[in-house]
Amino acid sequence: MRKRRSISQAYARQDPCVDTPASVPHHEAPLSSQSLRPYLQCVRSSLTAALSLSNFASQASERHNVPEIEAASSPEVLLNPLTVSRNENEKVYIEPSINSVRISIKIKQADEIEHILVHKFTRFLTQRAEAFFILRRKPVKGYDISFLITNFHTEEMLKHKLVDFIIQFMEEVDKEISEMKLFLNARARFVAESFLTPFD
Amino acid sequence: MLLLDYQNVLIESLLRDRFAEGASPVSIDQVVSDFDGVTFHISTPEGKTKIVVSINVKCFAELVQYGAQAILEREYGPYIVAPEQGYDFSVQVDLESLPEDQEAKDDLVRRISLLKRNAMAAPFENAFDEFKQLQEEASKYTSESAPQGVKEGGETRAIHYRDEEAIYIKASHDRVTVIFSTVFREETDRIFGKVFLQEFVDARRRAIQNAPQVLFRNDPPLELEGIPGINNSGSGEIGYITFVLFPRHLTDQRRADVISHIQTFRDYFHYHIKASKAFIHTRMRKRTADFLQVLRRARPEAEEKERKTATGRTFKVAS
Amino acid sequence: MANQTPAVVMDNGTGYSKLGFAGNDSPSFVFPTAISTKSPAGGAGGSGSGRPAVANKPSFLTGGAGPGSHLSGKRGTEDLDFFIGDEALSASSGPGYGVHYPIRHGQVDNWDLMERFWSNSIFKYLRVEPEDHYFLLTEPPLNPPENRENTAEIMFESFNCAGLYIAVQAVLALAASWTSSKVQDRSLTGTVIDSGAGVTHVIPVAEGYVIGSSIKSVPIAGRDITNFVQSLLRDRGEPDSSLATAERIKEEYCYVSPDIVKEFSRFDREADDRFRKHTVNYPNGKSVQVDVGYERFLAPEIFFNPEIYSSDFLTPLPNIVDTVIQTSPIDVRRGLYKNIVLSGGSTLYKDFGRRLQRDIRHLVDARIKASEAKSGGAKSGGLDVQVITHKRQRHGPWFGGSLLGQTPEFRSYCHTKAEYDEIGPSIVRRFALLGGPGST
Repeated sequence: MRKRRSISQAYARQDPCVDTPASVPHHEAPLSSQSLRPYLQCVRSSLTAALSLSNFASQASERHNVPEIEAASSPEVLLNPLTVSRNENEKVYIEPSINSVRISIKIKQADEIEHILVHKFTRFLTQRAEAFFILRRKPVKGYDISFLITNFHTEEMLKHKLVDFIIQFMEEVDKEISEMKLFLNARARFVAESFLTPFD
Repeated sequence: MLLLDYQNVLIESLLRDRFAEGASPVSIDQVVSDFDGVTFHISTPEGKTKIVVSINVKCFAELVQYGAQAILEREYGPYIVAPEQGYDFSVQVDLESLPEDQEAKDDLVRRISLLKRNAMAAPFENAFDEFKQLQEEASKYTSESAPQGVKEGGETRAIHYRDEEAIYIKASHDRVTVIFSTVFREETDRIFGKVFLQEFVDARRRAIQNAPQVLFRNDPPLELEGIPGINNSGSGEIGYITFVLFPRHLTDQRRADVISHIQTFRDYFHYHIKASKAFIHTRMRKRTADFLQVLRRARPEAEEKERKTATGRTFKVAS
Repeated sequence: MANQTPAVVMDNGTGYSKLGFAGNDSPSFVFPTAISTKSPAGGAGGSGSGRPAVANKPSFLTGGAGPGSHLSGKRGTEDLDFFIGDEALSASSGPGYGVHYPIRHGQVDNWDLMERFWSNSIFKYLRVEPEDHYFLLTEPPLNPPENRENTAEIMFESFNCAGLYIAVQAVLALAASWTSSKVQDRSLTGTVIDSGAGVTHVIPVAEGYVIGSSIKSVPIAGRDITNFVQSLLRDRGEPDSSLATAERIKEEYCYVSPDIVKEFSRFDREADDRFRKHTVNYPNGKSVQVDVGYERFLAPEIFFNPEIYSSDFLTPLPNIVDTVIQTSPIDVRRGLYKNIVLSGGSTLYKDFGRRLQRDIRHLVDARIKASEAKSGGAKSGGLDVQVITHKRQRHGPWFGGSLLGQTPEFRSYCHTKAEYDEIGPSIVRRFALLGGPGST
């Protein structure tokens, strides 16, 4: 895990066009890990582009300053939303505007176990949204988790690090879900065998 | 903790304290619960030396029907007293006339703390006896020529031990089938439960060849056909888990342990679903902390500002 | 009667956890809030992750990044291998296990361990299916709402408990005092003096709500008294001056005297009557005799004259209580003086309440006299000071919980699993006041 992180950081600092040595260890099958890299790369570039935010006071009400993407009261400051999709189960929806960007992620869910684990995990995270600054308490419809980044966030935090965070989140959440699933299966096996052994 | 205890820990520790040498008698009045809606009442109504333990089981009438009274009499013989008001069965121990040696005392403690297990054991013992009978009868026939009654086995015993859940026990000449019906009130539990049960089903194939066969389905199994009160919806909320006990599990030496053990199945199963949820919580807490760490890196290092005290001197904050 | 399962009452304190069922007059289990887990070789946390320990973050986010926070090694069943309570302490004396205390200063410090502690409490000791029972848990005054939410998350999501009520310990201690014959009206206004092993709190409660700004704590409690007894034994060179012996002597022989000077002379006059001998029996069959002398009344005296024990904390307990009430809103002060309730093991000394009542009354009377003098002739109606001593003091909060948990309306005050699923953890930020005005 430790190793993985350092590689992904090194990767982040590199020129995105230069291919890194293809030795990033990943739990998934080779085929899908091949498509993961371009997918994440695409999200990274799109997100970096979308994060050009500036302070923008509300046109609808005086002395208010709201995330335009949420208020949606001035259509002219909303930019075209964009979907980056790896397959029908995994996609990212980026909705940019003049002073805020909303990023929604649909996390891979192959079966109902993964579905319930994703649900539990995202609920656990949103429960602690306060500490995450950019986490939205409610996901956009059709997605599992959403982030809202405003110009205030980009002013006080480093923009490329925020992008790093989103990318790393996407990587690790998949890993965490499959690890939890593995745990559950291993535990179930252990529990079943322990119960049945005394009969032996 | 992996397996659940068969005995009630509170009764066990309480009696052990009282039975100990030199323990001063005190009055007790406690209502305590056990799994499956069982309630105990431990009290000293007549005097500090006479401890009465009463039990209330939801399905006591059904248990009596399968011979619970006889089993309880066998286990508790001289200690039985008339059931306390509101309870199904009571035993009384007089501290002044305890058995002399320590071993007998321990045995008495153990017996009383197994009160629930013994009450619930009735239908199992009943079925195991029937199995023996059928087995003897069946040995007289070949499998084809056996008369209907022997082949099919006896009636199905139903014990509605919880509001929505029941145990069904059916004996036949080569096996005893124990079916648990269990309800999952929550989506997460249902899915976790499915994973667990699949492993129960597979365990025999993989590792423990001699274990009882386990089957799992969402609609009532064939054995339960025609039993009143079976929910036939197959909605997935109710699961039916079938344990097939083979003759090797039903020998006289194994009997007691098998009965104790299989009784704990439902609670064991639900306990582990909950324990794995707790562990997943642990993982999520850890992962959340990791994510926060990553996000914190996005904040530029706060510049070290010089602070001033009221008198105008400056100092630096030690970090 | 058994149609309704009794509510489970759990009072998890810093030192001890009290577990049992509502309706009983004492908890079924009292054991240390300790959990011992298999400690990985090397022990220290963070060794696996190689990252610096997570700091400056509230504990509900990290779950207390204690030892064993190394995730990748955790696919096994280590999380089932632990003991709680007395078993935890005995397991930790052997190899392989390390003991942890998941509650610090009354608040849950490590949620991972607490969750497992609860799991074992429920399934191993209480033996209940949480889906069938309502739960009454306690919390210290000024517990952050996030902690409540975390508790609810665990109780509802992990254990699916049927319903949950979280009550403040001080309020339950007030409810426990209703058994005393001195209490006529069952009000939830009063001052609670809660003295356990580690710290003594003085908590004013007005109609079921804690007046947070006026709470004061005193760094003198049971453990200090034990230490004081031990130091007296050592000074005299008694044959056995272990901590365990000191604790036994404290529990069996100590009492509060009305006046130490007179008590000293009484000891000298009636030596035979006052001095005692304590016999310590060892497991190997030997026994020694320890003389018990002035510490009988000197030890609890450190509440009233702290200077005999400590050099940095010098305010006597009665003065603290008086200050607490004086800093509370003026319209509740009368009620606070009238209903001073004791709770916790270190308030059990004989005549503790009587002495406290007398000392507080002296302070109050002196103040009234002074203000009468200043106002030039106006007469005060006087102020009633009453310290309530009752039989359930030792496990006051637990007993109060048991009392309220058995009332027929208890369930309607709980938040149920269905409500939690609908609204989420924030639902537990508010609870209707159980036992408050309007209820029986």
